[in-house]
Amino acid sequence: MSIGTEITGGSAPEPTMEVAIKIWRYDSQTGERALKLYEVEAPEWACLLDVLDIIKDRVDGTLAYRKSCRMMICGSCGMRMDGGAVLACKERMKPIVDRGHVPVISAMGNMPIVKDLVVDMDPFWSKIRAMKPWLQPGYQEPPEREYLASQEQMNPIHKEALCIMCGCCVSECNSMESDPDFLGPAALAKGFRFVGDPRDGADIERLNEYNSEHGIWDCTRCYFCNERCPKGVDPRDAIAKLGAESVRQGIDHDLGAKHAKWFVTSTKTTGWLRETELVPKTQGIVSAIKQTKFALGLARRGKVPLPFPPHVAEEVREARALHDLLKEQNRRGAAGIVQGERGLARIERTDEGGAKRDIAEITPGEEPAAAGS
Amino acid sequence: MLTTGTNGKPGNTWRRVAYYKGCLASLSAKELDTSTIALARKLGLELEALESVTCCGAGDIHEAEPDYYLHLNARILSYAEATGSDTLMTVCNVCTLNLRQANWQLQKDEELLERVNRNLETVGVPAYSGSVEVKHLLWLIAEGEGYERLKQAAHKGLKGLRVAPFYGCQILRPSKLLGFEDPDRPWSLEAIIEACGGEPVDYPAKIKCCGFPIIQAREETALGELIQPIEQAQEAGADAMVTPCPLCHLSLDAWQSKLKAATGKDFSMPILHLSQLIGVAAGLEASELKFKRHVVSVEPMLEKLEV
Ligand code: SF4
Ligand code: SF4
Ligand code: FES
Repeated sequence: MSIGTEITGGSAPEPTMEVAIKIWRYDSQTGERALKLYEVEAPEWACLLDVLDIIKDRVDGTLAYRKSCRMMICGSCGMRMDGGAVLACKERMKPIVDRGHVPVISAMGNMPIVKDLVVDMDPFWSKIRAMKPWLQPGYQEPPEREYLASQEQMNPIHKEALCIMCGCCVSECNSMESDPDFLGPAALAKGFRFVGDPRDGADIERLNEYNSEHGIWDCTRCYFCNERCPKGVDPRDAIAKLGAESVRQGIDHDLGAKHAKWFVTSTKTTGWLRETELVPKTQGIVSAIKQTKFALGLARRGKVPLPFPPHVAEEVREARALHDLLKEQNRRGAAGIVQGERGLARIERTDEGGAKRDIAEITPGEEPAAAGS
Repeated sequence: MLTTGTNGKPGNTWRRVAYYKGCLASLSAKELDTSTIALARKLGLELEALESVTCCGAGDIHEAEPDYYLHLNARILSYAEATGSDTLMTVCNVCTLNLRQANWQLQKDEELLERVNRNLETVGVPAYSGSVEVKHLLWLIAEGEGYERLKQAAHKGLKGLRVAPFYGCQILRPSKLLGFEDPDRPWSLEAIIEACGGEPVDYPAKIKCCGFPIIQAREETALGELIQPIEQAQEAGADAMVTPCPLCHLSLDAWQSKLKAATGKDFSMPILHLSQLIGVAAGLEASELKFKRHVVSVEPMLEKLEV
């Protein structure tokens, strides 16, 4: 039996359901776009991809989308459902049908649309390639014995190695919307996959490259990538690991790294973040002077606390002592994040939150991006 | 070490929570602290302010020195536990994510908790047992008894004022760590605006980033993010915006002038902290609301309300 052409098979008829979805159709040649409603009968086990197959087979053969493995492995079927990127082969339709909801399907964001649900992934691939996604062991001829890496040594990159390069994390990346050249979550997660690999010998080179203008410090920490990733890669955490490794290795020329380091100093000296001092510490004195007028404007409103007297948190001594103590323990850099992953992996995910209200009229990202944008 | 700020009227107390102000409410956003304390009194929410704690490190210490981040937050959780309350209330998105993340890491991993506690005790901080839950003020008053009390307290109403809710990022995502509501279709701020007699304004960017984390290192990229919610809220006819995060507040309020310089667009959009919006409906004093500390004037909005 071939799924999608034959919806009932074997002896007993399978239970079916009526599925309604809306799809943003788009033709980049003519620039035509339209939101079309489709209603089809589908087996109760159908996922979004099955429903698209049924529509393509029975209703409109011109519908364009990508697919291959049908089992969350190949990364082909990324698209938006109600404004959020999903893998079409992962999303079960039954709960949505039961809710009486008609989801809106559109192409992923932050990539130009080719047709309907197919995006041009060239920019995505070129950023992945920019990470030099191959091992650079630091020798030409392999040694006599192959390099043996223990499970323990490989654990720090376990999550990053799960990436199937579907692009879901990129779709709603807020920094990439604002700076299209930002390397972005998938590429940077790939970067940590190599920086964290015990067999790779190019860490410093890689970290220097990833600390570029459109690199790790461009990330605005919106956490859309962690929210969307269907494989649990948590790209934002991978970016934080790259930041931590950079600081550990003394690669801190970027304003972002300076900013991050100043927070550490603040907690050791006053306990609280001292915003007036943050500007010069982050940007250097020349640009700090350029900021002065703006800063004075803020100071008039009490938005910037005056540097004297410092607001010393009580017992800041304890924070300082903690910092000194930790220096001697072997959890600096990315290891500090990796150590927390075991606990976080044990959180059971509940999806109950969404049931409290009906779906809002406006769905973020419902409109597809303009042609070529 | 701890100052006990008991502010519930006798007989009126609904619950008692430990209160973590964070940097902003302690220093540059004092108006958030004063309005939160005044509002809590009206709601019968007894706040025990933690005074001996430090900054939670924002995303920055988590990125620069993550092990230190974990210990700083464990220390805050430990002092919250020492108050005897089972809840640590936050008034900032970033504090909420930081503390919840550290809390999960410790609660779900005995070995890690043991290591961190050994370190805490070495420097004289009591060990943390993992009994505290971190909740944002928003979550305490968006449902249940808190919501009922809010409706009673907001007796003056907002006369149908059109208010755009701005959630920001780290109270929604990652939902695995936050989990109060659907991160793509949140409802809590809307529910509160309605309870106060305002009219919630809907717009797609309400769940997006304000740009604050990179506003110094990547100003242009940050302003490209910041403009979206303000512009959309204005197009949707909002009289004001409200946010549960003082960093979003700083970005939306103080950096509006930079948006004007960069784009020539003058939004003059008043930005309110959550506690201030409810505070207006609950009739808090000007000295508690402290609107004079805002960069963008709130006057046009107040005139509409004839306050
Ligand atoms: S990190 Fe996750 S969402 Fe991003 S490309 Fe990889 S698998 Fe897809
Ligand atoms: S957290 Fe950073 S990388 Fe992830 S989606 Fe947001 S801006 Fe992009
Ligand atoms: S079709 Fe391969 S991941 Fe969906």
